[in-house]
Amino acid sequence: MEDLLNYAVDYAMKVGASYAEARYQSDYFEEFTLRNGVPEAPAFGKSRGLSVRVIVSGSMGFASTNMMRRTDVRDAVAKAVTLAKASSRAVKNAIRMADAKSTKAEYVIKPRVKPEYVDPDSKVELLKEVDGRSVSAASRDGVKLPTRFLSIGYMITEKHVVTSEGSSVRSRIPRSMFSYMLTAAKAGKGTVQRFENMGESGGWERAERWALDERVPEEASKLAKILTEAVEPPTDTLDVVLGPELVGIICHESAGHPLEADRVLGREAAQGGETYVTRELIGERIGSEHVTIVDDPRLPNSFGYYLYDDECVEARERVLIEGGRINELLHNRETAAEFGTLSNGSSRASLYDVEPIVRMANTYMKPGDHSLEELIEGVRYGVYISSYMEWNIDDRRWNQRYVGLEAYLIRNGRLVSMLRNATIELTTKGLYSSIDAVGKDVRFYAGYCGKSEPMQSLPVWFGGPAIRLRGVRLGRSPPSDG
Amino acid sequence: MLTNSEVRALPTKLVRKILRSGASDAAVRLNASSSTMIRFSNNDITVSNFFRETVLEIYIAFKERRVTGTITDLSQPSIEETVERLVSAAKTVQPSDVYAPLPRGPFKYDRRLLRVGKVKTEPEVLVDHVKASINSAISAGAKRVAGSLNATVSKTVLCTSGNVEASSTKSTIALSVRAFAADDATGQFATVAADDSDFKPEEVGSMAGEIARMAMNPVEGEPGIYDTILGPMTFAHIVDELGSAASAFNVDIGASFLVDMLGRQVASSSFTLTDDPTLSNTYGAEPFDDEGLPTRRNVIVEKGVLKTYLHNSTTAKRYGTVSTANAGIIVPTPFNLVVEAGDRSFEKLLSGVDRGIYVTNDWYLRYSNYREGDFSTVPRDGLFLIRRGSIETPIKGLRLVGNMLRLLNSIVALSTERCWIEWWEVNTPVYAPWALVSNVEFTKSTL
Repeated sequence: MEDLLNYAVDYAMKVGASYAEARYQSDYFEEFTLRNGVPEAPAFGKSRGLSVRVIVSGSMGFASTNMMRRTDVRDAVAKAVTLAKASSRAVKNAIRMADAKSTKAEYVIKPRVKPEYVDPDSKVELLKEVDGRSVSAASRDGVKLPTRFLSIGYMITEKHVVTSEGSSVRSRIPRSMFSYMLTAAKAGKGTVQRFENMGESGGWERAERWALDERVPEEASKLAKILTEAVEPPTDTLDVVLGPELVGIICHESAGHPLEADRVLGREAAQGGETYVTRELIGERIGSEHVTIVDDPRLPNSFGYYLYDDECVEARERVLIEGGRINELLHNRETAAEFGTLSNGSSRASLYDVEPIVRMANTYMKPGDHSLEELIEGVRYGVYISSYMEWNIDDRRWNQRYVGLEAYLIRNGRLVSMLRNATIELTTKGLYSSIDAVGKDVRFYAGYCGKSEPMQSLPVWFGGPAIRLRGVRLGRSPPSDG
Repeated sequence: MLTNSEVRALPTKLVRKILRSGASDAAVRLNASSSTMIRFSNNDITVSNFFRETVLEIYIAFKERRVTGTITDLSQPSIEETVERLVSAAKTVQPSDVYAPLPRGPFKYDRRLLRVGKVKTEPEVLVDHVKASINSAISAGAKRVAGSLNATVSKTVLCTSGNVEASSTKSTIALSVRAFAADDATGQFATVAADDSDFKPEEVGSMAGEIARMAMNPVEGEPGIYDTILGPMTFAHIVDELGSAASAFNVDIGASFLVDMLGRQVASSSFTLTDDPTLSNTYGAEPFDDEGLPTRRNVIVEKGVLKTYLHNSTTAKRYGTVSTANAGIIVPTPFNLVVEAGDRSFEKLLSGVDRGIYVTNDWYLRYSNYREGDFSTVPRDGLFLIRRGSIETPIKGLRLVGNMLRLLNSIVALSTERCWIEWWEVNTPVYAPWALVSNVEFTKSTL
């Protein structure tokens, strides 16, 4: 493969490119699903091919092919160069790549338990066990789970990137995944739903640690309690404690995405939008001193794990917000050149046939010194929201909404009753500025981050500790039909 | 490595091979496509992409024991290994609840649908389209323009154990343009076409630029309940959600607000929705579904009443009905959603609103409960306050919060004019009008 990649890069340089990079990528996946207790057809798939990215006369061209003959690769290079040349007549600002040191590296995650060697039948049996226990758990509170959808599987991503500057990086990362959606129903109380993803890099031993046969039934039991016990949330001003699951998605949506440098430059304007962050805002305060949010691809076992990005730049921790101040954008080499800095290794492509762009990996809030109990004890009147279903944010990443699923009313430092659809709807600055204390126990949650066109969906983690917000008013809840 | 003609002959060869292994059913679908995508921002082209891909999708059933596979590695060893692995898995995988044989052909297909589209894909032509859309947006009032243009040529070959051997070709073009008159004054519009004569990049640019110009100097909106006009971009988004909710598979797993709604009123009587892949030379035209059935025009909602879910053979058997020719072998999907035109112009819709809001676009629609249809979505681009039948002022900072069934049942009227919309937020092409909807709730951040 290295020969073919070098051939692509050499040929691109020969026909006029000032920069060229070639990437081979293979993604294998298997997925087993259970629909309402019945096995659905499992899905197996392998996507593999080669892409080349070139800069010609200040214009960027990209081409991919899954036909891997030398002639196909040459055609792809020629196409990328032709496209770049054709576009160069409409390009006013020449595209450049920031300096990066030439790198040779290879890294492989060796699974302790190879997922492909785990009997498919045992995966389906596990789903059946989880399904059955969940139905039983809900029924103990007189609640039915009329629809359940469970999915378990793994994927193995292999990449080899070669650049015209002499870099060459190979990697192999297996990942295990699980997701589920449960619908709980009770006559006169309507329905509630829970959706959740789990995912880690590593072998099947990671999936075995999730204790799905306990965790999912626990969630089913909580759904039953929400249906039978939860009451309308209050509407006056109060304190809010948010659990790690909400803190994770908040960090992803209102710190990670807006600090992607390509967004600041307007490159995503017609798709995922732009950002409240400007060049001038770097160093400015956006939250209280308790707020430090980072993105780190190197976290062991993380879903967004990598050590070198798709431009062969070594990964490192990126401190996005430090002590409440905007600190550092996520960069690839192209955006770094625009900002007069160096890439911090954020360039990733989801599959062989799409260009690498600026992406998050594992975004989380750094811990403080409070236990969850201490955060709650410090609230006389408030709510604690532990999980959520609906969420969204505007395309400048400023106005965001999270509709709580498992939530409680707090009175005098104690959880006193469950709340249904407790919702926060806050501006980014309003939210981060209201934080007066941060928990010490960080938890991570898996997700698939979507960005760009064609849509690129990438595995990521997001997380953090619990946090406490002082003096906010809850947002308008969705209706609780009963 | 196989030659191109060998690749095209693969589906037939593989179906035979799979059936020799004792399988009851097999379907192999090959899709070979070439796409050119030009992305632009700040009036400048940022990247030009060329994607060439051949994807092989394989379905194997030993009665209720079923598997699916997808590969892009079309080397001989890879194909053989994949088929062997899938056959072996299908023999041993746990059975599903029903067995529906693949439909028995051969079938006759509408010849007009076997060769859809007439689109030029030369880079110079596409760059000219981009420049035309940028220039027209600027002429209409934009300062900077972003977007994407995508032209695709594809060939599909399908062979099934039900005596289906079919192939079709298609060429399409899609454009999405976002115009900025200021950072907080934006407009977006999109279009899709299967024929250059239907493709009007200047009009898309003008529309986006005009909305952006009108959106200059927005004021903070006030939360509350308003009569609301949803522009084609937003109404297409809502209809796209409805199309997905009509898939029998999504109904089965609770990812639909149409559970138990067959024959019931799911929208106001002014709303009729069909899925019509038989409209020749449109972006979503298709001659056959993934099981080889000839596609057909399905009325999903007629005068507000839900008439059918979308089915493949398996979901149809589970529901005791027949396929609507919407396979997806596992998940049925709509192809080409058409909202029946209303009876008045946009101006007439507007003049009927005393105090309301006009939403030109939205994004990030998410559900707190798919089963109930409770959701919110975030208006973006031009958002306008309507007073006494006229657009009074641009506003910002609001979120649309609602319930799908309530919103669809609150449709008051639809426009006569419709636009084909498919873009980043709308997966299935929708022929969408402007819609006047009563009592729509808007919220805003509390801090």
